[in-house]
Amino acid sequence: MLGKKQKPVEVPGQEKPESELHAVWESLRVNKTAIFGMVIIIILVAVALVTFLADAAGIQILPYDPNETDMTASFVKPCAEHWFGTDELGRDIFSRILDGTKISLFVGFAVVIFSLFFGIILGAVAGYKGGVVDTVIMRIMDIMLSIPGILFAITLMAALGKGLDKAIVAIGIVAIPEYARIVRGSVLSAKESDYTQAARVIGNRDLRIIFKHILPNIISPIIVRATLGISGAILDTAALGFLGLGVQPPVAEWGDMLGRAKGYIFAAPYTLVFPGLAITLVVLAFNLFGDGLSDALDPKSRKR
Amino acid sequence: MKKRVLAVLLTGALAVSLLAGCGGGAGDTTTGETGDAPAAEQGSGDETEAPAEGGEGSDTITFGQAADPRSLDPAFADDGESTKINTNIYEGLVRYSDTTTEIQPSLAESWEVSDDGLTYTFHLRQGVKFHDGTDFNAEAVKINFDRQLPGNATEDMPYAGFVFAAVTEVTAEDDYTVVIKLSEAQTPFLANLAMIQGSPIVSPAALEANDNNVTNSPCGTGPYKFVSWDTNQSVVLERFEDYWGEPAKTKNLIFRIIPDNSARVIALNNGEVDVIDGIDAMVVDQISQSGNNVQTDEAMMTNYMAFNTTEGVCKDVEVRRALVQALNVPEMVQTLYQGYDQPATTFLPSSLPGYDSTIAPPAYDPEAAQKVLADKGVTSLHIITYSVARPYNTVGGQKLAEAVQGYLSKVGVECTIDAYDWTTFKEKAQTDTYDLLFAGWGGDNGDPDNFLNLLATDDISMNYSHFSSDEYKKLIADGLVTPVGDERSAIYTECEKIIADQVPILPISHANFMCGVSPRVNGFFYHVAQATKFANVTKN
Repeated sequence: MLGKKQKPVEVPGQEKPESELHAVWESLRVNKTAIFGMVIIIILVAVALVTFLADAAGIQILPYDPNETDMTASFVKPCAEHWFGTDELGRDIFSRILDGTKISLFVGFAVVIFSLFFGIILGAVAGYKGGVVDTVIMRIMDIMLSIPGILFAITLMAALGKGLDKAIVAIGIVAIPEYARIVRGSVLSAKESDYTQAARVIGNRDLRIIFKHILPNIISPIIVRATLGISGAILDTAALGFLGLGVQPPVAEWGDMLGRAKGYIFAAPYTLVFPGLAITLVVLAFNLFGDGLSDALDPKSRKR
Repeated sequence: MKKRVLAVLLTGALAVSLLAGCGGGAGDTTTGETGDAPAAEQGSGDETEAPAEGGEGSDTITFGQAADPRSLDPAFADDGESTKINTNIYEGLVRYSDTTTEIQPSLAESWEVSDDGLTYTFHLRQGVKFHDGTDFNAEAVKINFDRQLPGNATEDMPYAGFVFAAVTEVTAEDDYTVVIKLSEAQTPFLANLAMIQGSPIVSPAALEANDNNVTNSPCGTGPYKFVSWDTNQSVVLERFEDYWGEPAKTKNLIFRIIPDNSARVIALNNGEVDVIDGIDAMVVDQISQSGNNVQTDEAMMTNYMAFNTTEGVCKDVEVRRALVQALNVPEMVQTLYQGYDQPATTFLPSSLPGYDSTIAPPAYDPEAAQKVLADKGVTSLHIITYSVARPYNTVGGQKLAEAVQGYLSKVGVECTIDAYDWTTFKEKAQTDTYDLLFAGWGGDNGDPDNFLNLLATDDISMNYSHFSSDEYKKLIADGLVTPVGDERSAIYTECEKIIADQVPILPISHANFMCGVSPRVNGFFYHVAQATKFANVTKN
């Protein structure tokens, strides 16, 4: 007891955030499925970073060039040389899956950052300002929500054309309303709280109140939603790729690999199984982690 | 903890169902269609045989194909998907024999050609009725041909120029005699009149009622009449009871659109459809293992790549030659088509007069190619292609384009590929800029002119490479007026030499028609020129 109490005396200003994070971690730590998800995410991020850096530096770290065709070695079954086999153009599926990790993760994070950025601004403004501004913004969000997400994304892709950047924009736009709603709801309740009133009384400007005082206090549900949003975005990208709307060939994107392999489901199932497993794994990892994080960030359900 | 297990299961289920849901649509949506047809017909109860046990009745044949027809008006169609349907609805003055491209009488019982080859006189069959009940006569022929004559033909009539460019006048001498005058002798003219594109006779009453384009309410004289066309779903035909010849043996004929190759195979194996085409080598085992037959009928089809010879880097003939050198065509064809198609060296399939096995485009030599392409500064190309399987390219244009992309990246040229569905592709080919384009040609009439004049025409919906060579055009013009024989064949061999030298196109493969056929279906044959005539096909 005494030892613990000494610390805050040495660094009094940082006591609260540190113990908060610590408590979250303590709660997360005992949640085995969340840790499982987190470990997988760390491994996938590591794979993505390594392949990306190696690619940028021009070093071939993968067993094969993921985009190099070898027409003499098409549809090789999984074996020692090609762990996951080769596809119809003789490309190594194992290399393509590893290479595809960075694309899926990049899209996942990029979409969430994109939609978070606009979602927070719109939601915060709507919630804080209220009145006509709130009505206009939120009704537009409702209209967007009323269109099934993947259909909306397909329509946007059809209008924008093929390409990873466009896929990010399309899926990102579709996800904005979810964040806007969560942020607005939290802002509405935080707006009436004492600390907001106090901030207003001492003459802070609205923007400062929103971003300096309210947002840090409502960040937990946003983080949880964003973590789950990454898996949703990855899945949507895969769906677009599967439908042939995603990436420009020969880029190795899991959904695209899955889509092109569906014609060989009986003749060469391994061309289909491994990209499918990869998608499942990454989506599972983010969902488990996001779920655990949701419990850990909620003081009521936090395990101690 | 239970919640997490549930979450795991739900995540998995979501991932699977979302992706599976996306792919399944094409196969599932039309199952009701085929099921309904025989049932509806039992209700009407006129002289139909009892449906065979298990599966559909023997009075309905369903054909699964990859894409919608472009048009059910023969004047506006140029694709195989339309031909397969139109050949059952329409007839021309003459026809091909059942299995060869020999010319036989059809709506014309006999004909004479003047010595100078400029006047054709057709004596028409009497007592022929259109599906709408109106009579077939010389006036009907005149109306059909007149709308496609130079001056009258609209730009979207792809075969008007091909068949009727030399026609100056069509006159109805009497009710059953038609005289056609040509401006120059044209050896393939009679063969052209047997084609399913351009030449078949449409009911004049239907033409008038539909603003000169009967694509939505086709009406001909053939053994089957049109019932309905549900876009991207199916085209339904029914036996025409007043047919002048022997009526069709099977009452209902349905063409179902199933774009996805594997979905089409599954539909065949499930008994939802009786015949499918556009299959590839990968599914042969799957088809035969489930008791269906794989039928291979000789085709005259060339799968080729066109270079844009008027715009971009491919304008330079040396670049085109280098790009050809970068591609190992035999290896590519062997891998993609698993030995079911032959690697091509010439545009003409080997069965046509004028074919010469010694002619070949520049041979595979990636080092030489890389050097030339580096010297010319060629680093990127734009490819446009089609996404679905075609009879001449059973793996689809996108895979072929990606194979080419793979070869070209090895010589330092990166390609971007835009793949479109078939109808969009045909539009984009005329409006968009491209360096390389994938296309194919299925012979219509068994005449070498039918293949080689593609590169002589100014119509960019045909001549995708926009190739223009006076020497080549002159040869094609000479071939048109030279009677069939060695002299004429030599002209087309000369054309092939120009193609091999100037490489406006690179021939990739010559395909066979591969169809999956249910053992219940008898008498099915895929004709090189008139595709799938179902009048004599039965099902037990």
